[in-house]
Amino acid sequence: MTRLAYYPGCTLKTNAKNFEDSTIATAEKLGIELVEPERWNCCGTVHSLSTDDVMHHLAPIRNLLRVEELSNAGEVDSKQVVTLCAMCYNTLKRSNMVFNEDSDRKKKIRDNMYKEDIEYSGNVEVLHHLEVLREMGWDKVKEAVANPLNGLKVAPYYGCLLLRPRGIGVDDTDDPTIMEDMLEALGAETVGFAYSQKCCGSYNAVHMKEVVADLAHKILKQAEEAGADMLVTACPLCEYNLGPRQSEVEKRYPVFKSIPVVYFTQLMALAFSLGEEAAAFTGNKPDPRPLLRDKGLLEE
Amino acid sequence: MSDYESGYPDYMRESLEKVAATRASRVGKSFKAMTAEEKDKILRDFHPDWKMDQKRGLKVGPSKGQLMPHEVVDILEAHSIIKPEDIDLSSIDYDIDVLIIGAGGAGLSAAILAHDSGIGPDKILIVQKLRLGDANSKMSQGGIQAADAPNDSPTIHYLDIIGGGHYENKPELVEAMVNDGPDVIKWHEELGVLYDKLEDGTMQLAPGGGTSRLRMHSCKDYTGMEITRILMDEVLNRQIGYVEFTSAVEFVMDDKGQVAGAVLFDMDSDEYKIARAKSTILATGGFGRLHIQSFETTNHYGATGDGIIMAYRAGANLIHLDSTQFHPTGSAYPEQIVGQLCTEKLRGRGAQPVNVDGELFVYPLETRDVEASALIRECFGRENGVTTPSGMKGVWLDTPLIDIINGEGTIEREFAAMFRNYNKFGIDIRKEPMLVFPTLHYQNGGVEINVRCETSVPGLFAAGEVCGGVHGKNRLMGNSQLDLYVFGRRAGKAGAERAKTTKIGKLNLDHLKRYEKGLKEGGVETTRKSPMLLPEYRGEKTLEHQLKLL
Amino acid sequence: MENNAEIVTIYVMGKKHNVPGDLTIMKAMEYAGHQFTRGAGCRGGYCGACATLYRKKGSYKLEGALACQKIVEDGMYIAQIPFNPAEKTTYSLDELRPDANTILEYYPELSRCLACNTCTKACPQDIMVMDYVQASLRGDIEQAAKLSFDCISCGLCAVRCPAEIVPYNVGQLARRLYARYVDGPSQHVLDRVKEVEEGKFDEGIKELKNMDKAALQERYETREKILE
Repeated sequence: MTRLAYYPGCTLKTNAKNFEDSTIATAEKLGIELVEPERWNCCGTVHSLSTDDVMHHLAPIRNLLRVEELSNAGEVDSKQVVTLCAMCYNTLKRSNMVFNEDSDRKKKIRDNMYKEDIEYSGNVEVLHHLEVLREMGWDKVKEAVANPLNGLKVAPYYGCLLLRPRGIGVDDTDDPTIMEDMLEALGAETVGFAYSQKCCGSYNAVHMKEVVADLAHKILKQAEEAGADMLVTACPLCEYNLGPRQSEVEKRYPVFKSIPVVYFTQLMALAFSLGEEAAAFTGNKPDPRPLLRDKGLLEE
Repeated sequence: MSDYESGYPDYMRESLEKVAATRASRVGKSFKAMTAEEKDKILRDFHPDWKMDQKRGLKVGPSKGQLMPHEVVDILEAHSIIKPEDIDLSSIDYDIDVLIIGAGGAGLSAAILAHDSGIGPDKILIVQKLRLGDANSKMSQGGIQAADAPNDSPTIHYLDIIGGGHYENKPELVEAMVNDGPDVIKWHEELGVLYDKLEDGTMQLAPGGGTSRLRMHSCKDYTGMEITRILMDEVLNRQIGYVEFTSAVEFVMDDKGQVAGAVLFDMDSDEYKIARAKSTILATGGFGRLHIQSFETTNHYGATGDGIIMAYRAGANLIHLDSTQFHPTGSAYPEQIVGQLCTEKLRGRGAQPVNVDGELFVYPLETRDVEASALIRECFGRENGVTTPSGMKGVWLDTPLIDIINGEGTIEREFAAMFRNYNKFGIDIRKEPMLVFPTLHYQNGGVEINVRCETSVPGLFAAGEVCGGVHGKNRLMGNSQLDLYVFGRRAGKAGAERAKTTKIGKLNLDHLKRYEKGLKEGGVETTRKSPMLLPEYRGEKTLEHQLKLL
Repeated sequence: MENNAEIVTIYVMGKKHNVPGDLTIMKAMEYAGHQFTRGAGCRGGYCGACATLYRKKGSYKLEGALACQKIVEDGMYIAQIPFNPAEKTTYSLDELRPDANTILEYYPELSRCLACNTCTKACPQDIMVMDYVQASLRGDIEQAAKLSFDCISCGLCAVRCPAEIVPYNVGQLARRLYARYVDGPSQHVLDRVKEVEEGKFDEGIKELKNMDKAALQERYETREKILE
């Protein structure tokens, strides 16, 4: 087992519990033990939207400091930290970059990092789980497959934060293949569609629900027209806006036909035959299980 | 002794080394408990209650002739701080059904139960001279007794209480308390009080002085604080009326001879206000800040015995005020916290009192009066105490034993408050003992009540430390916490019931005039005024109190 | 007896006083002539009435303490914070559920936490305040309850929080939720309440009540003690 520091982020403990459950189960199958620091805080993403130049880096850097403590204590095997939520990934990675590239801000961040035993070195590497899997090799993933997802047409949805800004993304900003590679390793057929990188509406979900509904409608309709059975995502906020919020879309677009949205790790759990609990489909809306049963991929 | 820095002055090193040297040999050992005769003798010889020159007979009122400490008689034989003719009773500032004076454990419980009994939140008023919850209740560390363990029973609890109280308790009050005990714990759990529990979900129970079963429930050593803050939160959630920094100074009565509210003093604006109520519940707590016999006290800043004098002027009977509780273990060092409580639970979990030579001299869990007397005897009868830089004396309470007996980390976990408190003054109680001496802790006697918390004056209910009779002449650890909630709840319920059928007549303050007449007839000549409201510590008095203990 | 402590200079709300250096802030203020109504409570570190902010001579740091627990230092500038304007939401515990979003629902400002840790730095009880705020944010009720347990609601965290969160109110909700719904009631307490209601102990107590003092004393002195 490789022990890898794992930063969950708040949503993974609440709305996206199914993302976390399926990830932990599938990672274990692939020989990775995800080690969560005892103390961690919100990644700080809310404040990346603010204009303040120092304060909003405290939360992300403090989390990286926790990872460094974990690594110093010998509880993980590297100075890497893996994230699941695209928002967390983006926030932690951007702050890490600022910290390492801007010595003025690095000093200010350190000066305001109250009540810590050590200073953050800047040496933690922030990864998204997709990157960990790519590094491991798609062949390894393929080897773990016991229930190939043959006949399942999936539309990989990247959204914004996995790929942008340039230099932060998990893959080529204009022509990413990481999700496709991943899903094809599971035996699924990937369907390309124009809006795979269009924003889901993000935090507009809080106070401009119609903006999100319009965007979700465009994205989901496109995917469906391209022939996809379901949409696959790697971010809890995207999942929320495109999945459970379809009820809102239906209200605005009466002819809209709902389509399941799942996390890539849930399909991994299904393909690895790790059971219902690991796949955690009960947390998804709309429910993907009827479709998966129709395709013969899930037992009745 | 070399692996850490001692928090004590160098000259105490020799004694500390003796304590450390004998520690291992004392594990599992205990000094034998005293016989009834030995207890009787040590109380007479060393307990402050038996210093007859420190008391005098009361010359006024229904309890005339009772012996009480000078400091208590001083506030009883005193003029009211108000003159009836200065108070305008025609202008009512608060017109309510139930008035509750005091916002500690008893007052807050009474408010919640009055609300449960059908009184609207805006028809209840809690007045409090400091903040909501500012009371001794909050400072209780060690725990609350209730006979809910399978090997325990209310009957056994009853026997412990009545023997500990020297058979002077009012039996029906003890009966009410032991029977309500388990239900109080249940009520607390429903309100969200976080009690210490064992792995299997049962209560973690500890012994206390004079208990024959493990009966002490605790919330670390913040028991009173945890319960009080939840009752406060509940009062706020229910939006029950309250007003802070407003002190009741005298009751208002009506032409039917019943208590009908109170004259209030706004501590900010120095104005008097009138609260008219159908039922009035007195829950003002105790008198520790009167510093009986110049003892330092564990008590809250507001514990000035206001309720006793208010009730007495209105004609209520007082009982057992000749008896005062001195907690065996108050801090004797460091100087800054002299008199502060070192919870009895420390002894319940294994800490032993030892003398200057590191020797045991008393069974650690005698009742409080006996234990305190043994500490006084060790310091002043046998000269085996340790003298502090300010000239005070104390004996060691060997706390490191707690971790030795119960495993490392016990002190930090179960005595978080005590550990933190001593740490702030440079003493690590995991490694070094505490220097302790008895401290003024509790008002054993007070206003007489029945099981419905009615006093001898119609319309006036009382609950909590202001009352006498429940604990007899000596209270056991953890029973004051229980007392608060048992009788606070009963008072709230009974007060609410009375309020539903009572009509208030014409208001007056004639009882103050009668009391004034009583003073004259009793031959009391004084300029003293009461209630005190807040103690006086300004200027040189700050130092006086620090040094008076010698 | 004289007080031999060295005399130090302190500034109470800007006013200069010379006081014995071994006094706590509270006692030093009294020595200097202050009569407390606000700003003093239990005087033993349990009630949080005496929250105080201070700066020491030559330091840019703004520090927090309880006036009853902190010894004065030379050149200390002292301001008491006896009251904190805080919004406590009201709720009925009976109607709440210990769900992941319950605390956030009542205190949505939790999501404004910057993780700057100023609250932890301000806490005179050395509580990891930010950690329990963060635990509350992500719905970890147990951790929020346990980490916040020693809180005495002095309010210094709330005064210092740049996100305007009132941590101590948040902790209170977390603890009540945890105790009521996660920790739950002890069965032996419920059993005993039922037995009392059924009158199981009435006879025994009646017997004791009817004994004369000598018999009662005999029963007391010879009673069995089970303290293991």
